[in-house]
Formats: sequence, C-alpha cells, structure tokens
Amino acid sequence: MKISIGPALFEWGKQALRDFYRRMAFETPADILYMGEVVCSKRNNLDPEELVAFARELQPSGKQIVFSSLGLVMTEGELATMRRLAALAREEGIWLEANDLAGLAIGEGQPLAAGPHITTYNTDTLAMLAEIGVKRAALPVELPLTSIAALAASRSGGAPEIEVFAHGKLPLTFSARCYTARAFHLPKSNCQYRCGDFPDGMTMSTQEGMELLTLNGVETMSDAVFCGLGDLEALRKAGVDILRLSPQSRNMKEIVEVWHQRLLGRLDGAEALARLRELNEGRAFCNGYLHGRAGLDFIDASRQQATWGL
Amino acid sequence: MKKVEVLAPAGNLPSLKAAVDAGADAVYFGFRNATNARNFEGLNFSEKEAETGLAYAHQRGAKAHLVLNTYPQAGDSDLWHRTVDLAAGLKADAIILANLALLRYTRERHPQLPIHLSVQASASNYEAINFCQRHFGITRVILPRVLTVGEIKELKTHTDVELEVFAFGGLCVMAEGRCYLSSYVTGVSPNIEGVCSPARHVRFENRGDKLQTRLGGVLIAQYDEGEEAAYPTICKGRFEANHQVYHVMEEPSSLNILEMLPQVIEAGVTSLKIEGRQRTRSYVGAVTKVMREAVDAYYADPRRFHPKTSWIKALNSTSEGTCHTLGTYQEGWQ
Repeated sequence: MKISIGPALFEWGKQALRDFYRRMAFETPADILYMGEVVCSKRNNLDPEELVAFARELQPSGKQIVFSSLGLVMTEGELATMRRLAALAREEGIWLEANDLAGLAIGEGQPLAAGPHITTYNTDTLAMLAEIGVKRAALPVELPLTSIAALAASRSGGAPEIEVFAHGKLPLTFSARCYTARAFHLPKSNCQYRCGDFPDGMTMSTQEGMELLTLNGVETMSDAVFCGLGDLEALRKAGVDILRLSPQSRNMKEIVEVWHQRLLGRLDGAEALARLRELNEGRAFCNGYLHGRAGLDFIDASRQQATWGL
Repeated sequence: MKKVEVLAPAGNLPSLKAAVDAGADAVYFGFRNATNARNFEGLNFSEKEAETGLAYAHQRGAKAHLVLNTYPQAGDSDLWHRTVDLAAGLKADAIILANLALLRYTRERHPQLPIHLSVQASASNYEAINFCQRHFGITRVILPRVLTVGEIKELKTHTDVELEVFAFGGLCVMAEGRCYLSSYVTGVSPNIEGVCSPARHVRFENRGDKLQTRLGGVLIAQYDEGEEAAYPTICKGRFEANHQVYHVMEEPSSLNILEMLPQVIEAGVTSLKIEGRQRTRSYVGAVTKVMREAVDAYYADPRRFHPKTSWIKALNSTSEGTCHTLGTYQEGWQ
C-alpha cells in the first residue's frame, strides 16, 4: 500500500504550508501529496497559480502531486477558483481532487480523484465516477471495512484506486457558518482569520470535559485522532491501495516514518502504535468507523477489545 | 402568475390527508424501509398506504413526491431499485433521490418519472445542479440550508432547474448528506440508515437538580429545573469551546422564513418545503395552513405582505420551546 499526505486542512499560512510540503516531499517516504484548500475559500492558502509553481518545485521529489479542491462550494468566486484550478491541473497533467459535486462537474473528463467528501457509498457510484474521469476514490470516512472491501472488490483491473483515511483528525462535516469566528462572537464576513491561531483546530468539549470535536472554521472534525494502524492487515485484505495521513502541525514527518516502517514490517503493530501515541502527545485515538461502530470508539485490533474513545 | 408551491411532509396517511386538506399543493413521503431519511420507527408508508395517499392527493389536485434519499451500501442496491420501480409504478409526481447511481438507474429505467435532487445530495451551486441535469435530467433541486437568499437568487440566474427550499421546521446547519456528526457518536449514519440522532441512542437523565440530555452516551446539554430540554443533536448542543459554555454551532432553533417570504419567492424559488415527516398530523395541518395563507396573502398584494400575528402564534405553538430563526437565508447568520 502507498502512503499519501492529505491536503492540509488548517489555516497555516503560505509560508508554513510551503515548509510543510517541502518536508513531506523531500524528507519522507510518502508517495502522494495532496495540496490545495478544501475547507474555506477565505483562507490564505496557495492560489491555483501558486500551486502550479509549487508543484513544479516539488517535482524532483518524484511524488505524485494532486490538487485538492473546496469541500462546500457556494459562490461564484469559489466556482471561478475551481475552474482555474481545474484548467491548470489539466494543462500540467495533474489530477484534481473533487470534494464537491462542482469539482466533478467542472473537472469532468480530465483525470480526477474523488475526495472523502464525495459520497462514494456503493459500487454503482464508483463505476459511474470512473466513467467521468475518476482515477482514485478516497472513500467517505464513515465507511466500515466491509463496505470498503465490497467497493474494492467490485472494480475491474484495479481502477479506480481505493484510498482510505488512515491517520489524523477526521473531517466530519462542513457548514456555511464559521464556528471558529462564532467562538469569538464574530460573523464569518468579519472572521479576522481567528482560525489561524489554532494550528490543529480548536477543541470543543462536553460539559463533562470530554474532548469531543475540533472546530476548524466552517469544518467540524473529530477531536480524537483517527488511527487505522491496527487495522492495516484488514485494510490490505480489503484491497485498499492508498492510506491517507492527514497533516497535523506537529511530528508529521515522524508519523509518516512510523507508518512506512510498519508497512515494511520493520516495526510490529504494538511498537508502531505506541510510537504513534507518543507522537500524538496523549491525544485520544479512534477507529470505530472501520468496525461499523460509533466513529469515536477505538478498537485496538491487537487486543480486539473495544474501548471508549476517550 | 404561477404561485410558489407549498410542499408539506407526510410521515403517515393521516398527516398526508391533513396536509392536503390544509391546502398543500404537494406532499412528500417515503416508504417504510431504509431507502429514506427520517426512517423513524412507526413512520412512513407501505405500498398500499402509498397508493391510497397518492389517490387522496390526486383527487384533490395535489401532487405527491416520493422520497428515496439514503445511499445504498456497497453492492446492495436491490431494495433501492425495487423502491424506485415501485414509485414509478404508482405514478408518483416526482421521485426525490440523492445517490448518483440511483439517479442514473431511474433516468434509464423510468424516463417519464420527474427526478428531484435530494437535499442529501448537497448540491449547493449551479455547476453541481447543472451536472445532475445534464447526466440525469433532474427537474428540481432541493437546496441545502447553506445559502443566503441573495446567493439563491444569483444561483437561479445560472440554471433552469427548479429550486425547492426549506421554509419551516427543523434546521440542519451542516451541508446535508455529508455530515457525520451523528454517526461519530452513535455509529448510525443518516446517509446509510436514514436517521440523524436516532431516538434509541438518546437519553434524558436527572442528575441532582439538572436534566441531562445524551446522545450515544455523550453529554449534549444540561438544563435547570423548569428549562425546556431540546432533543439532543450535536449541532444544537451546549458545549465548551474557547473557555465558554454555549451553543457552539446553533441554538435549538427551528427555521421559519415567513419574514423573508417575498424575498425568497422573488429569488426564483419554485417550492417552499415544510420539514417534519417525523412530526404529528396536527403539526403538519397547522403549519401547512399558515404557509397556505401566507403564500396566498403574498400573491394578493406582494408589496404589502407582512406576517400576521396569528400565523406567528400558530407556528410558535408547534415548535417545542425552540426559537425561530431565518437561518442562513439571512445575511450575517454565517
């Protein structure tokens, strides 16, 4: 299985983004890099032209670069950006990752990846997506292993490729409203880019102190870190081609290395999991979705025991 | 002038009759299986009931839309295909679908059956809408509750697909059809099983002088004695963020567009949808009656339209202690 680095979902600013992806490109064994703004069109991410220039800069790394696009498209300005991004991707021979139907609509016929926000729940949909140009589908994060296996098995000739979310805070939903701005009593129209102060999002806890979700502007994520490491064998058997590791502000390079070593069999499961726990600095893990349970549950496959995702 | 449609929910046959009797132009309902959202216990229609309901509506000049808006899992589309065939056989006036593969199946097998794109398909821009028109011949889209009225008006200039918008009732504040908050804490997905925040995962617990509401064991809110407790959904819960305890995403509010009815109609909307297939017959009847009167009043004198106190009172009495909001239709909500 290959390793991909997902699109950076937090507001880091252009400099930090470039530094991050340079590190991923030249200092990690990842195979694929997704770059581009998925969460909020107001953010200070690389624009389509800057993405192209940056992709050329990273080309010597030999990684496949894919341009990710916005998850909830609402305005003419956002459609215009999508058109520019799709056109440049086409010219450069770079795949476009669609995360909204608008991405599929505008990119129809050119090489596409269907991102995790495209609702690829069944085999007929996967086949249809392939017909309009989808070469790879990153499946919705809530799919259980049984569905993943059925989708993978339905393909002929191994296409489209199947990618699953394997590590990081789960992107759970989008809204038109910005919850980070709201936490500062600001409307989205005057958000003052407060999300930029939270490099891994803002934790939202229950009144009992359970850290439940992460607010990331208009996106809401799990606060627990999804970790599918213990399910690696099952994912391999299911026919998964690519594991997506979602960018976080700390220890990402080391996290990629652990996954890589585990895939090569140079680390055993328990060792690798312990190492990932260290690198995530005590944050709770979850993987319940893979097992058809509540997403926040964590099942340590090495012990096959369910534990509450706290 | 063709009036905007008043479209009412029907969780069962008595509600369907109440809606039609109260002046609904159209009703929508689903079958009693996993093919539709609002797949709550004791709700929805058998084949026989659907037939009776369609006849009741048609005899009184109303239309009936059939809902199949969940996503078939993996290779298991049989139930959905059979239900589409059933809807076509019953001569429903339209079928409401979310899944791309089902859209295609329906277009190929039943070219005469009008297709409405479900809100669960999350088509929030004209490229997405026109894509579904091009590929599947959809005639209408139900817009997710993410756009302002201004954005809806702009969108309409780029598509000839009819627009249906939510006018009253429960307020999703997320991009519908792509929200995993409920499945994150309960394991039950609206997209897969048709239920958000299912009742069997809900608990109301007394702890000292507080009433706590829980979903999948997770504390959603707690109330002092005398406070009215809202049904626990994550997006309407009280949580702690940025050192404050508050309704982090949205108050337990429901949508009511009456104040903006003229702007919504003038944005080019074809149909005003009342939410609430899970609600009672008296709710459906009361809300439909108010919407009917409001729409008629608008067309009688568009420029002097103003919501009547009696309408507001009737609507407030249906909404279980929650406040009303114009939601995202209003600039500034975002």
